[in-house]
Parts: sequence; structure tokens; C-alpha cells
Amino acid sequence: MADEPADRVSGLILDPAPADAGSQILTVNFGPHHPSTHGVLRLIVDLDGEVIRKVTPVIGYLHTGIEKTAESLRYQQVVTVTDRHDYLSPLFNNHSYAMAVEKLMGVEVPPRADALRVIMDELCRISSHMIWLGTSGLELGAISMLWYCLRERDKVLDLNEEISGFRMHTSYIRPGGVMADTTPRFLDLLNTFIEEFPKSIDEFEDLLTENPIFKARTVGVGYLSRADALRLGQTGPMLRGSGVPWDLRKTMPYSGYEKYDFEVATDDGCDCYARYKIRIRELRESIKILRQAVDQLPDGPINVDDRKMLPPPREELDTSMEALIHHFKLFTEGYSPPVGDAYAATESGRGENGCYVVSDGTHKPRRVKFRAASFVNLQSTETMALRGMVADMIAIIGTIDAIMGDVDR
Amino acid sequence: MKTRAPAALAKIAVDSGASAGDEWVTVPVARLRETLQALQADGFTTLAFLTCVDHLARSDGRPPFSGPPDAETPIRFELVYQLRDLEGRRLLRVRTFLADRPDPTAPSVQDLFPPANWDERETWDMFGIRFEGHPGLTRILMPDDWVGHPLRRDFPVGGEPVDFSSDHEQWQTSPPTA
Repeated sequence: MADEPADRVSGLILDPAPADAGSQILTVNFGPHHPSTHGVLRLIVDLDGEVIRKVTPVIGYLHTGIEKTAESLRYQQVVTVTDRHDYLSPLFNNHSYAMAVEKLMGVEVPPRADALRVIMDELCRISSHMIWLGTSGLELGAISMLWYCLRERDKVLDLNEEISGFRMHTSYIRPGGVMADTTPRFLDLLNTFIEEFPKSIDEFEDLLTENPIFKARTVGVGYLSRADALRLGQTGPMLRGSGVPWDLRKTMPYSGYEKYDFEVATDDGCDCYARYKIRIRELRESIKILRQAVDQLPDGPINVDDRKMLPPPREELDTSMEALIHHFKLFTEGYSPPVGDAYAATESGRGENGCYVVSDGTHKPRRVKFRAASFVNLQSTETMALRGMVADMIAIIGTIDAIMGDVDR
Repeated sequence: MKTRAPAALAKIAVDSGASAGDEWVTVPVARLRETLQALQADGFTTLAFLTCVDHLARSDGRPPFSGPPDAETPIRFELVYQLRDLEGRRLLRVRTFLADRPDPTAPSVQDLFPPANWDERETWDMFGIRFEGHPGLTRILMPDDWVGHPLRRDFPVGGEPVDFSSDHEQWQTSPPTA
């Protein structure tokens, strides 16, 4: 490893000398069922003492064939499988897919639907970051973090349940709009959450931000230089943690994000601690966006007014023959976007969560490809872990925030 | 709609346009690396994803999704490279078409865009496209001993063959051998 540039070195270096004939390389299988691998990630690690010489991620243990399944479903049915690839950010998956299909159909959703999408996206970002913060804290010794974070996440799941009837895989965002409008109770719960959650973030920060043990495990660990982050195509907190202010919400806005006043959190630390700080700041920015979105929530319909794409309201079925025909056609045959392909991406808690849909003019997509942020981000593992200590790898895997369902799809 | 594809591509691209607002250029597979290098120099430094679309003819006899006319062999696979320019905030999709031959091959671009390494392994795994110059083109999502490439349109979707059922010949063909 003599040709490695100095800025690739991460973590505490006890033995910076390159492997020579006298040292023994031990190959260790790390996972796929190790508790700290966030699912079923397997790493083949070459160790020289405690120093990492090589890391090879092996994935595919959670492959469920979602893209194949999607090809045999109608466009409106695919929404339910999108929920399940990155299972901690179902709303972003829905959102990317819905935007891609809307591009193919050439429709624009009404402003209220956009605002509701933003609200649910930001709630989803909070719940996803809560899992990240809880499990990463747990792995680094801050065991109580998990329970505080799950407590807060439960409040978001309550909100999901109130608006859509489902706690995790809501299928709330659908091509053409959203599934349901707000209820008074939802707005009450949401306002309470917006009021109370910043106090919880303060609590988390009290526990971790200046905690000497936590800092010892994260500061300077998992160094990923700006150039490496860009070269490896990183997105999300991985990229912003290396000082690149790239956030699709700001740089290529969608769903009316340009209307909200928020900041893109960046940090020049390039280490695990920087990425921790970014996610904490993102929680605060999400609350800022939520507050604005609730205050400015426009009135109006929550779905496009297109009977060829979305079913008519229930009351019309009793009086209108055409409504009945549309309803029947939609639920037996579905709708067929014109021939073409579209890519749409949202900024999820992990980075660019994209969806590429190819239509061949039938009522089922010819190809649905999910651009998974975790799949790309996980490829930086070796760059970050090389020549560091094996214990630091736990912090590094945690900080990538890879969701294996997203990686394997 | 006229694309803003860089001038360097004027002589390479055989076709260009926009689909649902997304700009794309089509290039011959032989000039794929040259294209991506030119685009990289032009600012498209990030490869969002690369993937493949199988345009196997539809069972009802209608023509497959449009591709460039090829007199000799029919088009089957389409490789899609979605590029992103972080500075200029642009997106561009590079497409190339592969003929319906037993061992479809394309040049690897993982040295230009390191994230393409896993994407190309996935495309090999799922579609059986061989990327020449890839350092370790092995299966990535499916088990190593899997036979066939599951995202091909002629790969059966599963279930047990049911004799005399109306459409078993259409979707329950036996998987191709490796």
C-alpha cells in the first residue's frame, strides 16, 4: 500500500508500515449476520494485526427482485413494491417513482399535493435519521441512544398512521398526487411534533456531540477526501460531509422545495464526526421546512384531475356512467403512459434516491430501475477503512448508513 | 426539442432528443468510451447510474421500443448511462444499443467512473452483458451458482409449469443455460 496517498489514511494508525514478508495477513469474514452490519452485509477483511489491509464488500443477501416484480405489475401497483427497497425511506422511494411516472404521463400535481409530499418526505427523513442515530450510537457504546431515537421515531410513525393508515410502508405518494388529505388530528400531532422535536435534538446532542468517547470513536475516523467523495459518486451526507454542498432539494429542486427557506448542511471534516454533525443539522433543517410547509399549506385538490390516471371520487360513481367506466377501466387495465423513458430523483436521507422508468406504451412498465444511494455509497467502504483499525470499521459502516434492502433491491 | 449536448458529440451521436423532458444522445457502442470521456471533460463528472433495458419483442407482435435502425440484426439490449453535471446542474442520458446476439458485449467504463464497477457487475448479473476491461465481472446480487440472467425479458418469472394453461408457453419457458 506504499502508493496510497497520505490523505487516504484514516483513524488511529498504530502500524503505518506497509505489509512486509514478516507480517501475517489474516482474512476475516465480517458478517453477513454481524449485528453491526445494518442488515446482511458481508465484508471480507484482510487484517495485519488490527490494521485493515483490504476490504471487499459482498452484497446480495437481501436481493428480492423488486425490479423484476415491478415489470409484471401495473403502474399504480408498482408503488407498493417501491416502498420496500429502501425500507427506511419509503416516502422517498414512492416520490421518485411517482415523479418519473408523472413525467412520462406529462402531468403536474397540484400545489397541495406537492406541499404534502414535502411534509411527508421531511418526516421520513427524520425517522430515517433517527434509526441511523440510534443504531450508530448503539454500536459506538452509546446504548441508550437507540431507545431515545426509537421513541422519537414512533411519533413520526404515528403521523404516518394517522394520514395513511399504515405506519411504515405507507404507499402515500402515488403517481398523480397523494393518497389522502390531512386530518385535523394529523395537523395537531404534526404541530406538537414540530414544537417538541427540537428539544429532543438538543437531548441527543447533549448525549453525543461533546461526548469524549463518541468523539474518540469518530473524529478523524473514516476519512473521505472531497476528491474521493466526488470520484466515488457519493451523494447525501457522505458527499456533504466532505465539503461538497450538493443537495438535490437545493441544487435541482423538485416538488416546490425552492419555496422553502433552509440551508444545506456541509462540513469540511471529511470524517465520521462530520457526517454525524451533518445529519443532526439536517434534522433541524427538516423541522424548519416542516414548519414553513404547514404554515403555507395551500388549499385545493390533492390529485391531478385526470380520469384516465386516477379514479373518480366515490360519490360520482352513483350518478355518472362515465365515472363508472373510468373506474372499471383503471382497476382492470390501468393506464398506459406513452412510449418513452424518464428519470426522477429525490434527496433521501442517504443521498440521491432515483427511479428510472421505461414505458413501452402498455399498462405495465418495461423496466423500472431504482438508483439506490446506499448501493453507490457502500463502494467507498474500502477507501475509508483502508489502513485504519478494525474497530473503526464499525463506525465507518454505521456512518455510510447503508440500508441493505436498498443496496440489494 | 434540441438538446444541449456538447459540440464534441456532434460527430459521434447518431441520434439525440428528449424523452419526457430528459435529454439523451444515442451513440454507437464502439464509440461509447470516447463519448463518456468527452462528456466527462465537459463537466458531466458523475455517473448517477448505468443500467440495461431489454427490448425483447413483445409477445403480441407489436414492434419493440424504438431504437436506431440496424439493417443486419435486430436490436435487443439498450445500455443507459445517466450522467450528472454537478457544476452546471445538467443531466444527460447516453444510450447505446446492442444487437440480439448470444454474448452481448460493451466496453467497461469503471476506470472513468469508479461507481460503474458495481453497476456493471449488476448489469452482467441481471442481463448478461459482458463488459470488456472490467477487473472482476462476477455476479453481485444473485448467488454465484445461479443460472441465467433474471432481468432478461425471457427469464421466467417463477412458479411451476402448468401444462395446458393458456399462457404457459409465453412466460414459463425454461431458463437459458449459462
